[in-house]
Amino acid sequence: MQRTETFAPPAARPVYLRPAALALATVLAALFLIPVVVGDAFIYHVFITICIFAGLSTAWNIVGGYAGQLSLGHAMFYGIGAYAGMILMNMGVSPWIGMFAGAAVAVVASVVISYPCFRLHGPFFALATIAFLEVFRVLALHFRDVTGGAMGMMIELKLGWEWMVFRERLPALVIAYGMMLVCLGVAWAIREHRLGYYLVATRERESAAKAAGVQTVRVRLLAVSASAALTAMMGTFHAMYLTFIEPAAVFSLTFSIQIAMFALIGGIGTIYGPLLGAVLLVPLTEIARGALGAQALGLHGFVYGVVLLLVVLFMPNGIMGALSRFTREKAAETPSQAGPVVSMPRAETRPPLGAEVMRVEGLQKHFGGLHVTNNVSFTLREGEILGLIGPNGAGKTTVFNMISGFMRPNGGTVSVLDRDGKMHQPVSPGDFAALGVGRTFQIVQPFASMTVEENIMVGAFYRHPHVNDAREVARETAHRMGLAPWLHAEARGLTIGGLKRLEVARVMAMQPRILLLDEVMAGINQTDVRRAIDLMLSIRDTGVSIIAIEHVMQAVMSLSDRVIVLSSGEIIAEGKPQDVVRDPQVIEAYLGKDFVHADH
Amino acid sequence: MKLAGLMTTSALALTMMTPQAFAEVTFGALFPFSGQLALLGEESARGLEIAVDEMNAAGGVQGEQIVLERGDAVDNNQAIGEARRLISLSGVKAIFGSYSSARSIAASQVAELAGIPFFELGAVADEVTSRDFKYLFRTNPTADHMGKLIVEMIVEKVAPGLGKAPGDLKIGIIHEDSSYGTSVAGHQERYGKEAGLNIVTTMPYPAATVDMSSMVLDLQSRGVDVVLQTSYQNDSVLFLQQASEAGYKPSAIIGGGGGYSMLPTAEAVGNDVIEGVLDADFTQYAVNTDFTPGLESFVETYRTKYGMEPRSGHSLNNYVGALAILKAIDAAEGLKPDQIVAAVSAIDIPQGQTAAGYGVQFGEGNQNQRASMMGMQWQDGTLVTVYPPEAAAAEMRFAQ
Amino acid sequence: MNIFLQLVANGLMLGGLFAIISIGLTLIFGIVKVVNFAHGEFLMAGMYLTWIITVGLGLHPYVTVLAVAPFLFVLGAMTQRFLIQPLLLARDDHVQIFATVGLSTALINLALLIFGADIANTPASGLRAPVQIGPVRILEGQVYIFIAAVLLVIGLQLFLSRTQTGRAIRAVAQNRAAAQLMGINVDRIYVLSFGIGAACVGLAASLVAPLYPVSSTIGTYFVLTAFVVVVLGGLGSIVGAFVGAMIIGLIDSMAGFYIGSDLREAVVFGVFLVILILKPSGLFGTRVSLSHIS
Repeated sequence: MQRTETFAPPAARPVYLRPAALALATVLAALFLIPVVVGDAFIYHVFITICIFAGLSTAWNIVGGYAGQLSLGHAMFYGIGAYAGMILMNMGVSPWIGMFAGAAVAVVASVVISYPCFRLHGPFFALATIAFLEVFRVLALHFRDVTGGAMGMMIELKLGWEWMVFRERLPALVIAYGMMLVCLGVAWAIREHRLGYYLVATRERESAAKAAGVQTVRVRLLAVSASAALTAMMGTFHAMYLTFIEPAAVFSLTFSIQIAMFALIGGIGTIYGPLLGAVLLVPLTEIARGALGAQALGLHGFVYGVVLLLVVLFMPNGIMGALSRFTREKAAETPSQAGPVVSMPRAETRPPLGAEVMRVEGLQKHFGGLHVTNNVSFTLREGEILGLIGPNGAGKTTVFNMISGFMRPNGGTVSVLDRDGKMHQPVSPGDFAALGVGRTFQIVQPFASMTVEENIMVGAFYRHPHVNDAREVARETAHRMGLAPWLHAEARGLTIGGLKRLEVARVMAMQPRILLLDEVMAGINQTDVRRAIDLMLSIRDTGVSIIAIEHVMQAVMSLSDRVIVLSSGEIIAEGKPQDVVRDPQVIEAYLGKDFVHADH
Repeated sequence: MKLAGLMTTSALALTMMTPQAFAEVTFGALFPFSGQLALLGEESARGLEIAVDEMNAAGGVQGEQIVLERGDAVDNNQAIGEARRLISLSGVKAIFGSYSSARSIAASQVAELAGIPFFELGAVADEVTSRDFKYLFRTNPTADHMGKLIVEMIVEKVAPGLGKAPGDLKIGIIHEDSSYGTSVAGHQERYGKEAGLNIVTTMPYPAATVDMSSMVLDLQSRGVDVVLQTSYQNDSVLFLQQASEAGYKPSAIIGGGGGYSMLPTAEAVGNDVIEGVLDADFTQYAVNTDFTPGLESFVETYRTKYGMEPRSGHSLNNYVGALAILKAIDAAEGLKPDQIVAAVSAIDIPQGQTAAGYGVQFGEGNQNQRASMMGMQWQDGTLVTVYPPEAAAAEMRFAQ
Repeated sequence: MNIFLQLVANGLMLGGLFAIISIGLTLIFGIVKVVNFAHGEFLMAGMYLTWIITVGLGLHPYVTVLAVAPFLFVLGAMTQRFLIQPLLLARDDHVQIFATVGLSTALINLALLIFGADIANTPASGLRAPVQIGPVRILEGQVYIFIAAVLLVIGLQLFLSRTQTGRAIRAVAQNRAAAQLMGINVDRIYVLSFGIGAACVGLAASLVAPLYPVSSTIGTYFVLTAFVVVVLGGLGSIVGAFVGAMIIGLIDSMAGFYIGSDLREAVVFGVFLVILILKPSGLFGTRVSLSHIS
């Protein structure tokens, strides 16, 4: 094992994936071959059901897993697809067309529903989706002219490929299997491309994702649309397979929960987890039903509930989680010592300061009556390092939030020079990122469940949309930041110093022109401070302008070309570092008389 | 690898579950045995079981003992799966079912495509037999019969009893909003219009509701004289209680099966509240037994087998339907689907010859065209048949 | 006019019912920050217990609260201790939600297994007797539920503000980490709070059972309404839950009359969605971020 790893080229996937790929191929082949070989109608039904649930769960996982929006109302998209297919079929339109009509309606519905719900997380999003599902069900019951109301709808038994209804079982399996493959393919494509990384990043830390230039609302809407469309198409097919639909069965909460449950048991957020969940659970359910269902009322449902509880308690990351823990334990332990920050070779002479790249004028911010920022103005030139210091509560981070788009000022403007040489006034974090403004957060915001490499890739995607390019940039950046040994470790395992570096690395990977650093040296050791200073200087030498909030005076003094001192939201001094520290006003702000004001 | 192994094992396990024995014929019993519909699904299946016991005691069908293989149709997809399992793994010669119309529609589709006879003994929706299936037969009366019977009862009995012309009564229809309530209410409206009744409102509501006071107020403020409710148990109880508590006393309340026929409903609302309430449903137990030969022995068998009184008329009607079918199969030339179909199509049992009173003869869409419902009334704590006159065990009473 | 007054009375009584069921939910919600999807099944369990004791021992249903509330306290405390607590540090909310969903499924089916699908009627013991107040009629039992809901709100408020334990609970609710630093045993407080929340449902169960027949699925309807009430009233706000329950009760009653009984659910859930989207902190909610992640 170890030998293979040593000789593996750096770009290769981890070794354990190879047997995994084999297992995947076996499962997929078995899903198709077993029913064909056994040739029994019931076995066909079980496997068609597996394919349908695997497909539905995989589609759900794009929203529930990747995007982390726990939808318990996914049956509404399934229902839209089912009804669209049914209604159109009874008008003489083939379900192959109805399928896309349903998908289109589901996409519109999903966007309209999800957009206002995105500010809700976890249980609240789940509750909102349940409520929407109930509303859909009640409306489907009410508008019986369209939906047939409670009596449901039936199709005429028109047989053949054109109508998706067959006397033989094989064609139905072929369609279900094919649709499941489509779902898996879409899920795979999303996860392995920029969109997937963006989704997971957004799920883990929305604000950090925004800072990395991710249009969080847009990527989520894309995910929801893809998921809704796939779910609706599955719904159309399943309606044809059942030949009969009714609101109670189609817009069903139990059904929605079931879809999500397969994904949970298989492994939420993984590509193949939902497939695995369905493959294991559907036959198990069938056997349990055969063995228990007819014996006593509710026994089978009780067992079902208990299994769910046990899985949640002992395998919260699902089967995939358990499997990967098993394989990861076998993989070599990651080094535990702090890696050094690589010293960068620096140019002998530093390039002269360039043109003005950022102009801040009369910035105002108040919460209620409290002025947090009062009339702050400054400029930043190309290749300059500007230190922003001040006592706690002086409003430094508030200023940062306003010059990176995370907070709207009550007054004043922030202008940033674009590459075309014009000054622009960006508004949202996305606008700022587009103009090349990158920031870190004082309280580190890693994407905890992603690896270090993936964390940095989220930043790198900003300039390099292709995964391989982004990975390349991420590795380079990690190397420069001394994070190379942990490339494949989950970010949650890093020390605070490591997380600070990761924070900078992610921003650096965006290749910003203006870098806003919020206390990146707090809490790291002396040697690392020295190296971090070198690093920042080398970054500066590439023409990047830096504004740094810093408490480590050693760093401020040696780095900054200019220092701004903020106290109680106002600039009280500005100038060369050595001049500023002698300013009596500054000394007073830090040490004395105004202490009470400054602190709050 | 492991997974594939598991898949194969489970497929094998499923295949090997097929019971095979000599001189036995297997029929499927496809009912919702778990989930929301479990209670009456189970009650319906008991009727089938008693019919099978009776046939087996008399030598089975065509000399073979009958074995029932249960299938649990908990939802529509499951109904299809269980139908497939029964047909292909258990090798049933026919399927009996299924209480729920939705399950019946889904499962009978499978049976039809597989060419296996499907006998519906209890589902009431029109759609079950409106598809012109070759292998599907329904023995029980339907939503249509229920709507029709209720309207007839109003015109012929209730209105005269209240001393009014049928057209002068203000009629309000309320029904639970699933397929059962909706289809019965639809027929009530249609037959009501034909008979010139004055239907002032039709209100659907969800069966799982916990409050019907607004609806009661609405009926009250419209001055409705006769309330027709088609409901399950919970909502029957709720309506009767809330109406009585609101001081709303319509001249007549006519329930459509479901909760109205069940003893627990009467217990829940109390005898004084349910006294005089009318009900249309499958044949129940307090009936003129001259019209329903075999009823008493059925009840006797039920008590012995299950140690309790029948909980509703579902078991009786499933028993009657199943017995008629099984006797026909016994007389058939063989157990091939077409032989069964031929024998069943030839059934001709006149009115008044079965334990449910109605006869059996299949007409359009293979619906039993002799099936009918009966009108009943809660009198002194029991549900007594009051309509039609030939089956009545007592006279209809009117509160003055 | 009389009809309108009667609708208002019905709405308020319905509100009392929703309130007494929702208070426990909002308590658990506010303190443990867990949405208990099995809340309705707690109610169901309590109602069955009330039924067993009432029928078995011939007691007045209200007396059973002495057994039902402690029973549910234990059930709730155990749920927290053995199900939720191990999951509190889980990666995201998914697993907690699924845990309570799983519990709900298991409990519904367990009830089906034990009691069958029949409805069980607790003797009404005269609580269904109508009371005429001016032009409106309401039930004696409904009045008691309403009064009990008011007393429960006041009692809990006093408990949370006046007692040492209550203050500790509030501290944990506001800031778990800080409370821990102050030496409060947070896990114990969570178990206690979950227990108290469940015991409130026990009280509700004993009061509601004589008025509504219990079946294995009764929780499902109530729990969705209770969620609406809790979100409307504001996360974890007990007074909010009460006011929210009154509003939902009135909306339910009015919508049932003026819009149609089949659409009243759509109206209630519509209101719920509007609140969630426009003012997710609810009417009485503090500025609590609904985001558990960022």
